[in-house]
Amino acid sequence: MTAPTTRHSAVLADNLHRGWLLDRLALYLNRPADSIDPTVPLAEFGMDSVAALSLCGDLEDQFGLYVEPTLLWDHPTVESLVGYMAVEIPRVGEDNR
Amino acid sequence: MVTRPATGGPAALAEAPAPQQREAAVQARVAELEALLGDPTDPGNPCGYHAVLNADRAAVPFTRGEALLDDFGMNREFVPSRLGGRLDSIDTLVRVMRPVFRRDVGLGMSYGMMSYMAASDVWMAGSDEQQEWLAGSMLRGAKAAIAQHETAHSNQLVRSQVAARRADGGGFLLSGGKPVINNLARSEALVLFCRTDPAPGSRSHSVLLLNPGELPVDRSRIVPHQMPVGLRGNAFAGLEFDDCPVPESALLGPVGSGIETALRSFQISRTVIAATALAAVDTSLRTAVRFDHEHRGGGWAGARSDAQRTDAAATGAFVNLLLYDSLALVAMRAIHLLPTQTSVYSAALKYLLPRILTETMYDLSIVLGAGFYTREGTLGIFQKHVRDVPVLSLGHAGSVACQATVIPQLHRLARQSWFVEDDAPAGLFRPRAELPPLHTESLSLACGRDSLSASLLSVAAAIPGRSPVEKALRGLAGQLVEEFRDLRDRVLALEPADRTTPVGPASFALMDRYALLLAASAVLGVWRHNQDGSDPFLADPAWAAAALHRIARRLGAKVPDLPGECETRLRHEVHVRFSAQRSYDLYNTPIPG
Repeated sequence: MTAPTTRHSAVLADNLHRGWLLDRLALYLNRPADSIDPTVPLAEFGMDSVAALSLCGDLEDQFGLYVEPTLLWDHPTVESLVGYMAVEIPRVGEDNR
Repeated sequence: MVTRPATGGPAALAEAPAPQQREAAVQARVAELEALLGDPTDPGNPCGYHAVLNADRAAVPFTRGEALLDDFGMNREFVPSRLGGRLDSIDTLVRVMRPVFRRDVGLGMSYGMMSYMAASDVWMAGSDEQQEWLAGSMLRGAKAAIAQHETAHSNQLVRSQVAARRADGGGFLLSGGKPVINNLARSEALVLFCRTDPAPGSRSHSVLLLNPGELPVDRSRIVPHQMPVGLRGNAFAGLEFDDCPVPESALLGPVGSGIETALRSFQISRTVIAATALAAVDTSLRTAVRFDHEHRGGGWAGARSDAQRTDAAATGAFVNLLLYDSLALVAMRAIHLLPTQTSVYSAALKYLLPRILTETMYDLSIVLGAGFYTREGTLGIFQKHVRDVPVLSLGHAGSVACQATVIPQLHRLARQSWFVEDDAPAGLFRPRAELPPLHTESLSLACGRDSLSASLLSVAAAIPGRSPVEKALRGLAGQLVEEFRDLRDRVLALEPADRTTPVGPASFALMDRYALLLAASAVLGVWRHNQDGSDPFLADPAWAAAALHRIARRLGAKVPDLPGECETRLRHEVHVRFSAQRSYDLYNTPIPG
């Protein structure tokens, strides 16, 4: 996989990540994706350690991204997670090349 | 014949390699402590059951016991060797503390475990200066206390919280309080968890290391606490703050690292406390066997069915202790050998404490009959342990807390580790083998791997079946492999909505089954990796078959009866260890009574 280099592709990737992330969260939090405010800590929507660890597993399955179980402690919102994914996911591609 | 682990004499020792010398030194320390504490059944022993029960009735700390542990230098066991103490392995700590728990759980907790739990956070997260300060204080004999963060569904030990906000001139201002802190009034150090950020989430808590004696008296207050039913002699007190200033240098680790420190530290403290607690139930079994010996010889106990029932209760209790100790051994050694996987093993062990240890004490009560209610004499210790052992399940390691540690990991384990993981190293299962140094920074909050259950599969596949008992073991192991496969299928079949917020009841039941299967894996590993003949009893399939039989029945599996010689072998071992004064655990240690 090639890392997105242009601004255009970075925006595309962010949208892709955000859509994927919101789908997973909607499932775990049992609420519509559009009701999850991306700037509000996910704990306020009932995100607990079970859902957090499940999401860590999903990131590994989907993107080959190995994350610390404390990921959501340091990136508690959708915005912050999307930012993290934008930096880390391209690195997975680089490592594999 | 009593199965004695081989140990060399003093001459052999001088030439022995370093690991054997270290092991011999540990055995000597355990023996020294047992000898100092003396025969607990002797009414004239100032540290015997009689004295323990008197202190418990008066609900005061057991001062004779504390003085003896001071003389022994017990605090050195809690301080790492790099800081001048003797702590270099978790299993040594447990082995040295078991003689104390054998006699008095309250003394073991107040004297030892509370200081160790507090100190463990400092060894893990403290600066060099903080570590040296605490080590110095503890090596002089001082105690350390700990006040942990509040949980959503708390009990008194963790209820309510302290908030720390930044003070204008640097440092923090504390407000709020904690109602129950063990040893608070007599500790030189207090490890205090407090909230440093009102936002939800796991980065809002921090840890402070304070000297309670140096807190400004007009800004902090010690509040007496009512007496509990169990651990009556422990000195609980509360602490309240009113804008109490503390310096920046009190921070233990970075701001916001409190929960992470706690979750790492729990993996050690849950293991140490749960593993040491076994010694109390060793006493319960010994007390029941003694009662049975004394009364059966009297001529009135002619009814054969009664004798059979009491024998079955005693052997059943012994098997429970062995299977519990197998998992305890694995959890202790995993901290050194498989630190990334320890979170699951420590939680499973602590979860099984009330399920196996507490239950075993009640099972044994049928041997005592009405003697169960006796609060005096040698028999009285049975009642005291029944009150004290369940208290160990409170605090931050209740059953639900332990389940909540494992449940989030189940799906990932089932998907990527179970049935594909490599075998655990043999050293995980060998009671006296050398351990690598402790690296607490490697303890992981979750890792998605489980090598212990891999041993269930590999050992089960290679049991020769040379005798009827070994054939029974092979059959049972095969059944448990099927139970494990069924567990994996059930975990994988959970819908995302069932396994996340809120966690469905099915996950709790699955965790229960997993904990029992981990215990079964530990039993098989211990049996398999102790075939070298250094302990013929552990190499014998009888105990392992009986242990798997009990586990399979707990899981609801239909199992054939065990061959008669299995029960005979175990009954014999129970009575031989009683007469020869050896402990009812995997270590088979000499004890004074």
